[in-house]
Amino acid sequence: MILKAMLSIWMAVIIVAAFLYTEAAVGFPGETSRILFFHVPQAWVATLSFLVSMIASATYLAKRNLKADYLAQSAAELGFLFCVLATVTGSIFAKATWGSFWNWDPRETSIVILLMIYGAYFALRSAVPDPERKRVFAAVYSILAFTTVPFLIFVVPRITASLHPENTMNPTQPGMDPKTLKVFLGSLLAYTGLFVWMLRLKMRILRLEGLKEPRFGDFI
Amino acid sequence: MYSLSVTNLTKYYSSTLLFKDLSFRLNPGEVLAIIGWNGSGKSTLLRIIAGLVRPSCGRVEMFCKNAPIPKESRRQFIGMAAPALSLYEELTALENMEFFCRVRGIAYDRRNCLNIMERIGLSEQAEKMCRNYSSGMKQRLKLVQAILHNPPLLLLDEPGCNLDSKGMKIVEDIISDQRQFGMAVIASNERREVDYADRVINLSK
Amino acid sequence: MKGGRWTTQTGSSTYLSEAIAIWLRDLRIEFRTRYAVNAILMFAVTTLVAVSFSIGSFRIEASEKPFLYAVLLWIILVFSALSGLSRSFVKEEEAGTMDALRLSARPQAVFLGKLFFNLTLLGALELIIVPSFILLMKYEIEYPGFFAAMIISGGFGLGAGTTIVAAMIAQASARGALFSALSFPLLLPLMITAIKGCERAAIGMGTAGWAEVKIAVAYVMIMMVVSLFLFPLVWEE
Repeated sequence: MILKAMLSIWMAVIIVAAFLYTEAAVGFPGETSRILFFHVPQAWVATLSFLVSMIASATYLAKRNLKADYLAQSAAELGFLFCVLATVTGSIFAKATWGSFWNWDPRETSIVILLMIYGAYFALRSAVPDPERKRVFAAVYSILAFTTVPFLIFVVPRITASLHPENTMNPTQPGMDPKTLKVFLGSLLAYTGLFVWMLRLKMRILRLEGLKEPRFGDFI
Repeated sequence: MYSLSVTNLTKYYSSTLLFKDLSFRLNPGEVLAIIGWNGSGKSTLLRIIAGLVRPSCGRVEMFCKNAPIPKESRRQFIGMAAPALSLYEELTALENMEFFCRVRGIAYDRRNCLNIMERIGLSEQAEKMCRNYSSGMKQRLKLVQAILHNPPLLLLDEPGCNLDSKGMKIVEDIISDQRQFGMAVIASNERREVDYADRVINLSK
Repeated sequence: MKGGRWTTQTGSSTYLSEAIAIWLRDLRIEFRTRYAVNAILMFAVTTLVAVSFSIGSFRIEASEKPFLYAVLLWIILVFSALSGLSRSFVKEEEAGTMDALRLSARPQAVFLGKLFFNLTLLGALELIIVPSFILLMKYEIEYPGFFAAMIISGGFGLGAGTTIVAAMIAQASARGALFSALSFPLLLPLMITAIKGCERAAIGMGTAGWAEVKIAVAYVMIMMVVSLFLFPLVWEE
């Protein structure tokens, strides 16, 4: 309860700071650079949840522990949500700065592939009637999909050059304004906290739903 | 030589309990019959022993002279015939035999297989596709497919289904052969099949 | 009826001998029913005809040809493959023969046997579609050796990436649509690589080191190893 309250206050502070405390970066039309505080953490959470889902899937295959499957499923669902958010916010920014909603920039390509993987994952889950098999298949698919990621990282940037602003907005570069950096890191923290809170909520829902169906998978 | 041990086996099918804490041991030369009402889990029990279905709880182990056989290699020591276990309809009887020989690493001997075909009364149909077989003919072929690799443990699910009296003679032959050189488990409610067994387990009690 | 023992043989088999038995049996059934070949080849030929008819060999500027032709060729190959590569597993499930196979062969051998079969289908597909595409579209290729290596390694990749998916969807409902939906994201990196490789082979530039072929070969190896590890989980209950 206290953690939840703290998270909401922190989130509110970040939103206010993102618009009032920092100054818009030079070289971007109008106030568009403020997207940094929302879009990048969303993309970060989308990637993080993909990773969490894959690790939980591998754990499930090794231990056949229902909780690991709940974690894998919850992380995948949240990852999908944040993927969509990052895609939408990114598109709006792309329209404002580069003139079109979609450019097949390497990062746009990767997020589309990630969306397709998530879509396939959910389709597979809903198509297998036996609960035990469903969990195994979903976990196996998750690992297969993850196996192809290194290839994507290697292959995708070769198609087109990236449009994404690298230097001005990359926090590891010295060019970033200290105020912007502070708020950006705060926002990363807030989004990660939000992710963890939502993840635990979703897992609780799955566990309660699981109580209705027979839970003999526990014995296995 | 070989023996089978089933310990505290429990199986739930979705939320219904099929059987609970089932334990038995099968020694060489024994034939066990499993009886029970429809839906009592006879077939499922055989499938669990064969390793096709995971039990909800409990263990199935096979031993060779008291040394446990690992689960991965158990398939070499088990033969199974069941209504749900189909053969390849696009292949002839001989080709089916050939495939199961090859995949199990047995040298395929056409003459030997033709002998078996004659013995089960299929010598004239040996080169015809299984698609055109009657259900009784298919059942005969399934039975010999199950004993092709000379398994120590034979699992028969309703071995007499669709069989005429000549067909039943084959079942009898196979079971008496098995009694001499191995073990067998029969799941059935037919009186004539249960009578082959030394012991009976009733799942509906 | 004579009495006596039915059989006295016991067998010993290797992964490879089991896999080959499964492969040959699948081929034999395929020759009789043409179940998968019909699906794949009809799809491939109709798409090829549609592409060739609607675009022809003069519509595309010569400078654009290497890239666009590579894209068209790989779209035809990938989607034809997706239309039929799941057949061998789906058929096994529909005919109720999966359990007999589970009882008689090791899971890794089943995977290899089905992979060999799918690779045979892909080989037949490429053998028919690639030369026809080159002839119909007047596809000029500077480095035929590199081009052939790309086609072959790409074909292996299609098989390696989809065989385990086919085993999963065979045991699910809504099989046809699911197979493409699950396989496509896994095949994308391979497809992008193969398109790039074929483009380079056609232009005759930047083929040094055969980078794209190497990526495709690495993809084949990794997907095969991962599938071999995961397949027993998918196959056994």
